[in-house]
Amino acid sequence: MFFNPELALDALSTLSLGLLVTVLLTLACGFTSLILGLFVAFARMSRFWLLRNVVNGYVQLMRSTPLLIQLIYIYFALPFIGIRLDPFLAAYVGLSLHVSAYLAEVYRGGIEAVPKGQTDAAAALGMRPSVIMARVVLPQAIRIVIPSLSNYMVSLFKDTSLAAVITVQELLFRGQIFAARTYDYFTIYTLVFAMYFAIGYPAIRLVTYIEKKLKRGYTAKLAEKPARDIPVMEETK
Amino acid sequence: MIEVRGISKRFDDNEVLTDISLTINDGEVVAIIGPSGSGKSTLLRCINYLEPPDKGKVLIDGELAYRDVKGNELSKAKIASTRSTVGMVFQHFDLFPHMTVLDNVCSGPRFVSKLDKAECQQRAKDLLERVGVAEKQNQYPGQLSGGQQQRVAIARSLAMEPAAILFDEPTSSLDPELVGEVLSVMRQLVDDGMTMAVVTHEMGFVRQVADRVIFMDYGKIIEEGTPEELFTNPQHERTRAFLSAILSHTERTKPEPTSDPQTVVEKPSYPIVLP
Repeated sequence: MFFNPELALDALSTLSLGLLVTVLLTLACGFTSLILGLFVAFARMSRFWLLRNVVNGYVQLMRSTPLLIQLIYIYFALPFIGIRLDPFLAAYVGLSLHVSAYLAEVYRGGIEAVPKGQTDAAAALGMRPSVIMARVVLPQAIRIVIPSLSNYMVSLFKDTSLAAVITVQELLFRGQIFAARTYDYFTIYTLVFAMYFAIGYPAIRLVTYIEKKLKRGYTAKLAEKPARDIPVMEETK
Repeated sequence: MIEVRGISKRFDDNEVLTDISLTINDGEVVAIIGPSGSGKSTLLRCINYLEPPDKGKVLIDGELAYRDVKGNELSKAKIASTRSTVGMVFQHFDLFPHMTVLDNVCSGPRFVSKLDKAECQQRAKDLLERVGVAEKQNQYPGQLSGGQQQRVAIARSLAMEPAAILFDEPTSSLDPELVGEVLSVMRQLVDDGMTMAVVTHEMGFVRQVADRVIFMDYGKIIEEGTPEELFTNPQHERTRAFLSAILSHTERTKPEPTSDPQTVVEKPSYPIVLP
């Protein structure tokens, strides 16, 4: 038997702590980049030349270099110019900056995907550009990009494992330490694998569910429709 | 009163409007007809500045709208507030799909005039009643037929209590059996004395309700007059060709051969139905 259940049980408490750190890092970076990404998207569509181009440069930089190098740079290189971050903070900053750049592109795509007729109709009513964005374009754009955003969130969850390289005590890092101490790489890494899967799999199922649900379009609450309509609609799908 | 003075507009190399001038008096119903690509829609869109004209000006109630005397664009807020006085109804309805029918109609009063919700909703319900879709108020636009959607769009535009409404081919994307319900709502508006500019191919409607008909082609106003004058005694060859093509189509009879077949051949947007 390659897998050692006793050792696995032993490792479980430290690995669970690691998983907690992984999840916390995911949530923190996810939350930050969902918001920051939107602002980056706005900045990229700004009419101010300088802002637009600076932000554009940031996005291109993030997209054209490996995340691993970005993390290493922030943690190991930046201290030389006086920016010293502890591992978790460095990982938080690095991942957030990286994911925000991608999400900004997603948001921008969503905003541009809202038909021009919508802005025309809103403008014709007398709405100002900021109101049009907030009340008409953004609600539709967000809905368009939700499947994409949730996919990126799952990727983010997996990418947090790169933070092990800069000594963040997350799941992979704790697994590495434990494995190196006991030499039972098979048991430990199987367990690490399973723990990523335990979170990741439900997450991708959720993404699929959301995608399906959003495909249906905008409909009134089911309760407002005659009950017999519902099974009929399901059948025709 | 809406005055358009010397408006020109080009998209790249294509001159869509050439020096158009036009006045729409209060309470007047002006129909704008012409082949597709003749600039009718662009003209309407210039009137509420959805399309900024390259040259010329628009005056609303005698005041310069959208631009100052020197031709500089006014502030976004000023432009928006002028637009709120001129309603517009679009070919593809362009209702907001993420809002219920009621919220669609409320959207102007709530987000532009900042009225409180209860007041907006009451007004919206009254309007939906008026256009005959009150029972659909809690549905989403996607659940309505095209005719219902367009009537909601008319209600949405009425909610701002505009001084005039621009109709940009309001029935062109509707199934034939749904055209009537939209036209009858528009007829109601005419009876109520609404100032209207209507780009349309519904010649029967034009004949019935328009005070004045404007025929456009190649970005110019070729001819204008009462429906009576224009339909029975068109002065220009192009007007004649257009009318004979479209009327014969509308009446489902074999089209008269026109002396200027190019007009028909080049503009295939009016499919001629042969018996």
